Amino acid sequence: MRVIILSWEFPPRIVGQLANYVKELAVQLVKKDVETHVVTYHDFLTGEYKEPEGVKTYRVKNPVRTHIGVLTWVLTLNQEVERAAANIYYKANKQINLIDAYDWHFIQAAVTLKKAFNIPFVYSVESLEEHRSHGTNYPFNMSIKSIEWLGLYEAKKVVVKSEWMRDEVVRIYKVPSDKIKVIAPKSRTWMKDILETYKNVAGGTA
Amino acid sequence: MTQELTVMMLTWEFPPRIIGGISPHVYHLSKSLAKNGVKVYVVTCDFPGAPQHEIVDGVEVFRIDSYKNPSPNFATWVYLMNVNMQKEAAALVNRLGGKVDIFHAHDWLVANAGIGLKHVFRKPLLATIHSTEIGRRNGLHFDYERMIHETEAWLTYEAWKVICCSNYMISHVRWAFGLPEDKLVMVPNGVNIQEYTKNKNTDLRQFRRKFALPEEKLVLYVGRLVYEKGIHVFVNAVPKILGKVDAKFVVVGNGYMKEPLSNLVKSMGLAHKVMFTGFVDDRTLRSLQRCADVSVVPSLFEPFGIVALEAMAAKSPIVVSDTGGLSEIVEHNVNGVKVYPENPDSLAWGITKVLLDEKYAEGIRTNAYKKVLEKYDWDKISQQTKDVYEAVLKEYSKSFWA
Repeated sequence: MRVIILSWEFPPRIVGQLANYVKELAVQLVKKDVETHVVTYHDFLTGEYKEPEGVKTYRVKNPVRTHIGVLTWVLTLNQEVERAAANIYYKANKQINLIDAYDWHFIQAAVTLKKAFNIPFVYSVESLEEHRSHGTNYPFNMSIKSIEWLGLYEAKKVVVKSEWMRDEVVRIYKVPSDKIKVIAPKSRTWMKDILETYKNVAGGTA
Repeated sequence: MTQELTVMMLTWEFPPRIIGGISPHVYHLSKSLAKNGVKVYVVTCDFPGAPQHEIVDGVEVFRIDSYKNPSPNFATWVYLMNVNMQKEAAALVNRLGGKVDIFHAHDWLVANAGIGLKHVFRKPLLATIHSTEIGRRNGLHFDYERMIHETEAWLTYEAWKVICCSNYMISHVRWAFGLPEDKLVMVPNGVNIQEYTKNKNTDLRQFRRKFALPEEKLVLYVGRLVYEKGIHVFVNAVPKILGKVDAKFVVVGNGYMKEPLSNLVKSMGLAHKVMFTGFVDDRTLRSLQRCADVSVVPSLFEPFGIVALEAMAAKSPIVVSDTGGLSEIVEHNVNGVKVYPENPDSLAWGITKVLLDEKYAEGIRTNAYKKVLEKYDWDKISQQTKDVYEAVLKEYSKSFWA
């Protein structure tokens, strides 16, 4: 199986808890013989690094340097994520089983790649704008929510880390609960559940 | 049999959605390309009442959801709209089995979609730069403007070739983005003469009375009412002209300067001489251009100046400021009058000269019409564009993407 993970943080660039989680996931996937490519963002925080054993990482930069906020920054960075992912796709003779997209940042790329190549994607929800913005609902927040909605709508499977989050996704975005899989990171069945979900999403291709 | 050349046009406006000059440009270009044997798909923003999918004059048009949730500002909306545009365009190319040879993007408004599609499908991207942020704003003053400028730069960087509509724009774009000269191609904008001949039975004399008295000369301005179009220069020239010749000044278009300008006109005591019509329908506009005694383009910044070309096709004599693309279209005293930009005295001189000297006006409008037929015909322009496509595809065939 060949997987592309999209995450806006990855060690040594650590913003929240996502970076180390995604790294651990990638390392474990490689151990289970999953060819794992991680597309992430590179900036001055990245510094020197040693890639984790067997994981292929691609660090893209924003082609537009000046921005008026995180939203426009994300929306242009996605084009580079798409470019990196497309390069992986062509190099792998067009054989990518699935994309695993973390949070809203790279949903744009995941959706375009799905439409272009029929590659299914998993939307792994770390957090939601509803909670991050504490109920404020300016056009800025609404725009991010619309991207989260698009991801939830287009994803073949949604992965969350707790039952509470599953209920929140159902409540806020009216996603059918059988589309959502709860996989707790510290549980004994974590890797087994992830692999099972990937196999389901990839269908007959893996 | 060789396969048909297939192009996907990306544009944020296409008729009936008309905001600026890109819409008619892409419409005429696509239609003429289709006539010249090119298969054209247009992917554009939706518009109330316009179908999601239709074939217009041989061109297959797809209208996408242009993102209607609230967004923080125009530029952010543009990027959000591009999420939808590239998603729909990618699905379309997928349905077509990848059979698109070239993506052709018009301005930064579709930069993200164009660049994304280029890399996803590994097909060449072409960009037409109609205008630039640094030109529109006369410099870059805020991060908002810098962001748009850098998005434009990014589009020209990713494009295989960059098309501009005038030599002025070629040198401007080359300077603004530091592009190599051989990446730039000049293909002029065009005008459709049939637009001015098809409604022959309109009674122009009757029509003219709605705007001007029979003894008044009709002076026409068509364009957005914004600073860079120099409409304030035009208004300031009005009293200088009225001292020498009786005339009515008709201002067609909308923009943020409409209210301050109409207040200015009132305070000058000239409200009865200057008429603001707002946006008018196509037929009214064409008829107005046909009965104008002079058409005026007083722009401070003008990448091309399609309005001047339209007036020439309508056989109305033109007075333009000597700047940008206008400088190239007009040859002074031959097919029009050039005046100093941002100078009401010079503008008043030019307009008065045309209005008072009928023989002179007749000469320039005849030559102007001839020039339109020679140089700005859409068939010729689409052929030049097709030549650019073919040259790019020849280069592409030698690349490892092919």
